[in-house]
Amino acid sequence: MADLDTILEVDGIVTRFGEQAVHDGVSFSLKRGELVALIGGSGTGKSVLLREIVGLQRPTGGAIRLLGTDVWSASAEELAAVRRRFGMMFQDGALFSSLDVAHNVATPIIEQLDLPPDVLWPLVQLRIALAQLPPEAGAKMPSELSGGMRKRAAIARALALEPEIIFLDEPGSGLDPITARAFDKLMRFLVDDLGITVLVVTHDLDTLLTVTDRVIVLAKGKVLADGPVGEVMDITDPWVQQYFSIRTMVGGGANNSNGT
Amino acid sequence: MNAAEDWARLEQRDGRATLCLEGSWRVTSLPALDAALDALKPSGRIDALDGAGLEALDTAGALAALRFIQSTGADPAAAARENFGAKHLRILEVVASRLDDVVAAKETRRPGLFATFGRHAADIAGLLVGHLNFLGLTAAGLGQVLLNPRRLRIKELAAQFEQVGINAIPVVALVTFLIGVVFAYLLGLQAEKYGASIFVVDGVALGMAREFSPIIVAVIVAGRSGAAFTAQLGTMRLTEETDAIRVLGLSPMDVLVIPRLLALMVALPLLVFVGNVMGNVGAMFMADTMLGITPTTYVERLQTALRARHFVVGIVKAPVFAFFISIIAIRMGMTVSRDTRSIGVNTTSTVVQSIVSVILLDAVFAVVLQKLGI
Repeated sequence: MADLDTILEVDGIVTRFGEQAVHDGVSFSLKRGELVALIGGSGTGKSVLLREIVGLQRPTGGAIRLLGTDVWSASAEELAAVRRRFGMMFQDGALFSSLDVAHNVATPIIEQLDLPPDVLWPLVQLRIALAQLPPEAGAKMPSELSGGMRKRAAIARALALEPEIIFLDEPGSGLDPITARAFDKLMRFLVDDLGITVLVVTHDLDTLLTVTDRVIVLAKGKVLADGPVGEVMDITDPWVQQYFSIRTMVGGGANNSNGT
Repeated sequence: MNAAEDWARLEQRDGRATLCLEGSWRVTSLPALDAALDALKPSGRIDALDGAGLEALDTAGALAALRFIQSTGADPAAAARENFGAKHLRILEVVASRLDDVVAAKETRRPGLFATFGRHAADIAGLLVGHLNFLGLTAAGLGQVLLNPRRLRIKELAAQFEQVGINAIPVVALVTFLIGVVFAYLLGLQAEKYGASIFVVDGVALGMAREFSPIIVAVIVAGRSGAAFTAQLGTMRLTEETDAIRVLGLSPMDVLVIPRLLALMVALPLLVFVGNVMGNVGAMFMADTMLGITPTTYVERLQTALRARHFVVGIVKAPVFAFFISIIAIRMGMTVSRDTRSIGVNTTSTVVQSIVSVILLDAVFAVVLQKLGI
């Protein structure tokens, strides 16, 4: 029963580029229904780790078990089956530039299921609505969208096959504070109302302090801290202290409620 | 064994039609759900949903159920929800509150043949006007460099010359050598019949010098350097490098355009010369094998047959071709729009436009030279 609960297990990941070891024994796990943030200084390999988890980049050592499957020793069919059960949102959306938003969102569905148009397109529209985009956004091309809308379209596509876990790579980058807070609410909505687990790589302090259940800190190639943000903030590591110091300077402190 | 009943059943309870959901109402089951709902054929409004037999529910399943109820004339938001767990109730609520946004997609009507043709014609007209505009800008830029030679950036010019000229020599040499072989073979086939084999030399020398070398080399260069200019400048536009150049007070015309233009205009005649030589070398090889014309004989005949004016005509065509290829390639690179498809589209267009222009210009040359009697 506990095994069903653990949706992702990262076990002793080692990543080396030539002489340099970016990860030197990174381990953590995620349970279903959590919103977890992965933070760390620039160059600590957060995005690399995310790419290793979703099967885009092979780690030098260690194992990753996603939805019960070992990502790097699975067969092609097993990996394809796992890919249908998670979604990924890349930093700038990575939408297919020759398709409009609706067709972008429809692509995963069309590839996996054979649905008649009168079932497919309302489903696509629902995904677009869940990502908090207006209905007209479906007919737009990615080049016609603002940064925030592109990211929402990317989330709509990640939601297409109703995944069990979604990975987001710095969704808040390049967004104004209002849109970034709306994104936080969207992430919380995915977890609370749709029952999806979320792992987000982020730098955004407001996200960490308002909507996350847990924070994992990556530093010097290992997991430096792993727990609710209030606990992590109290760690006496100089980097952690400096990272959160802006917040304490303004007198914010840990705000564990799930946003306003 | 009614498969439809594994998914949904209609029941009458307290005078109200109820849709009972069974099994796993998830996106992966949608095809089966759709078929099952189609098979139900309700006689009136369905005002309630029952989830007692439900194993799993996601937004896709909820959407299917709620839209089905909506199609019977009921209000999905007001329908009663019986025997659902808390999580499933939440999902139903999430979907019900967004049903208004879920409208059937509008059919995008494909424009007819006539309209498409008209649109393409208008696009080409706009393209040509834009090219003319850019030609003027470039001429002005060239003029400024002539008046103020210090503006000429020698380093960029040399780098471009190496790339479009020197590095192209192997390809040009190989292709023109092979053209020479084939051309000599073709002419030889006919000339042999009339005992006029020696005139193969005339044919190849004149043909290569006046027409084939300039055209073939221009086409190779269009594909090689034209495409490269467009792709390079297009990417620089996407990464905002051209904007950075402008903001630093430098002129993209001086830094990017003029060096490429001049490099190509100098390199192409030289490449045409290489083509001439290699074409004749190839022909020499074929003439020896097929017709028994020794290289010594070939060169002797060449000296008589190839008058200077034929050579000059070919060499003069080259900078003209180069000018137009550059203008097209550079402009297509600079008009790349902000999406990844655009670079590929523009690069393809550059090569097509360049080749067509070269052939057009060659035709113009042919007519003009014929009238002039050269």
